[in-house]
Amino acid sequence: MIPDDTTGNGLGVAIEAVDVRFATPSGALEALADCSLHVAAGSFTVIIGPNGCGKSTLLRLVAGLLEPGSGSVLVGGELPRAGDGRVGLAFQQPRLVPWRSTVDNVALPLDLAGTAVGERNDRARQALERVGLTAVAELRPRELSGGMAQRAALARALIGDPPVLLLDEPFSALDALTRETFDAELQRLWLEQRRTVIGVTHSVSEAVALADRVIVMTPRPGRVARVIEVDLPRPRPSEIAGSPRAAELEAEVRAALSEGRALELRPWAEQEGAA
Amino acid sequence: MTRIGAALASLAVFLAVWKAATLIGGYPEYVLPAPEVVGERAIRAIASGVLWEHGAVTLLEIVLGFAAGATTAVVTGIALGKSVLIERVLSPYIVAAQAVPVLALAPLLDIWFGGGLLARVVICALIVFFPIAIATMVGIRSTDPLLDEMLRSLGATTPQRTRLLEIPSALPVIFGGLRVGVTLAVVGAVVSEWAGAGTGLGVLINIANQGLFDTPLMFVALAALAIIGLVFYGLVVFVERRLVSQ
Repeated sequence: MIPDDTTGNGLGVAIEAVDVRFATPSGALEALADCSLHVAAGSFTVIIGPNGCGKSTLLRLVAGLLEPGSGSVLVGGELPRAGDGRVGLAFQQPRLVPWRSTVDNVALPLDLAGTAVGERNDRARQALERVGLTAVAELRPRELSGGMAQRAALARALIGDPPVLLLDEPFSALDALTRETFDAELQRLWLEQRRTVIGVTHSVSEAVALADRVIVMTPRPGRVARVIEVDLPRPRPSEIAGSPRAAELEAEVRAALSEGRALELRPWAEQEGAA
Repeated sequence: MTRIGAALASLAVFLAVWKAATLIGGYPEYVLPAPEVVGERAIRAIASGVLWEHGAVTLLEIVLGFAAGATTAVVTGIALGKSVLIERVLSPYIVAAQAVPVLALAPLLDIWFGGGLLARVVICALIVFFPIAIATMVGIRSTDPLLDEMLRSLGATTPQRTRLLEIPSALPVIFGGLRVGVTLAVVGAVVSEWAGAGTGLGVLINIANQGLFDTPLMFVALAALAIIGLVFYGLVVFVERRLVSQ
């Protein structure tokens, strides 16, 4: 666990007794109920839970895209506001604008902020370099591979240098090998900057490989079922996934996941469809 | 090259069928003149300056009417697409206005707008308006909600979202409406002239048809309108190719 005094460039995130309901044609859907979570500045937190447990909703609260029905969300002690530059969000899909080149997609946040052209171009170039996309700067999204597109999306989320980075399963559509490379890169980027990272995943091994703390959520309505501290040393090479300690932690996460399911007394199959 | 070849071949077939119809039917010239008769009449109409005198007026009406109609339609379409309230309030009037034949209203509009060029432009713009406004509304609504959420997460303002996402994603559909609209601008110009103008290709059609019984001249005017329509349509397609990438 990273203690608070080595916070680096991050901001703390405090989620307190949050309720979120969505209106649907078949009535109100309770996504989060009395959900609380504190994330230390500069730490790497991974949230894991069944489909539809409100993981993505939680990230949208922190990104300021959504307001809780009750409870409070604070980023660095202030209410989050979309576009305030304190939070970068990478979505499950790359969400690149199809008629913009890679470099123009990466520079989109700077264009929105009205950054001067010279500075914009310099920073976009650096951001592309950091994720190894310099060679494809002028290509359109449809010409990129899935991995390249996700790299571009990550570069876009990071170009404003946000103290908090939110990852909504951005690597879930990639093949296992590409994904491992990405996880390694992500860890490297994090170790360099020590921003606060909150990620969401379905993969128990990925959660343990990346996180300081794994947050296990209950099925809908989501709340935190368990917090598991991951005491593996850093930097973590990909082989660490095979170590006995990692295996123990993974078993602990799996146990917490199935406990959460049992608590709800609902069949697993019912959760599957409702992402 | 093959495209030009295909166009010329289809023109040749069209003229051949036309010529064959006049030969087989043996119609008098005032019912269906042969292509070469119309061609010869066209040369005389150009030489005497009568075609240009009327054509120039109609061209101006088309350009101004299309510009005015398309601009208002795109602005209205954006508003309709972005606000359900505006759509609820405005769309019944827009649809009702579209259902009323402009041809019937044209004489009144002519009086209201002074009977000059302004009246011509207003009538033409009215006819152009509907398909472009509807296309724009549909286009704006077809914006990818995932991209919109991405832009909101970056703090994009409403004008920024419209400019950077909604209009570019609506553009292919808007151009669909502009293609329909530009051909309707030709029809609109003629309808507006029939409401009481002194010059224009629509007026020339009436003079040739009902005054002079000069059917070949009427065909010359019709051909001129067709060519104007083709050229403007081609211009819209040209601009579309430059603006709509992918």
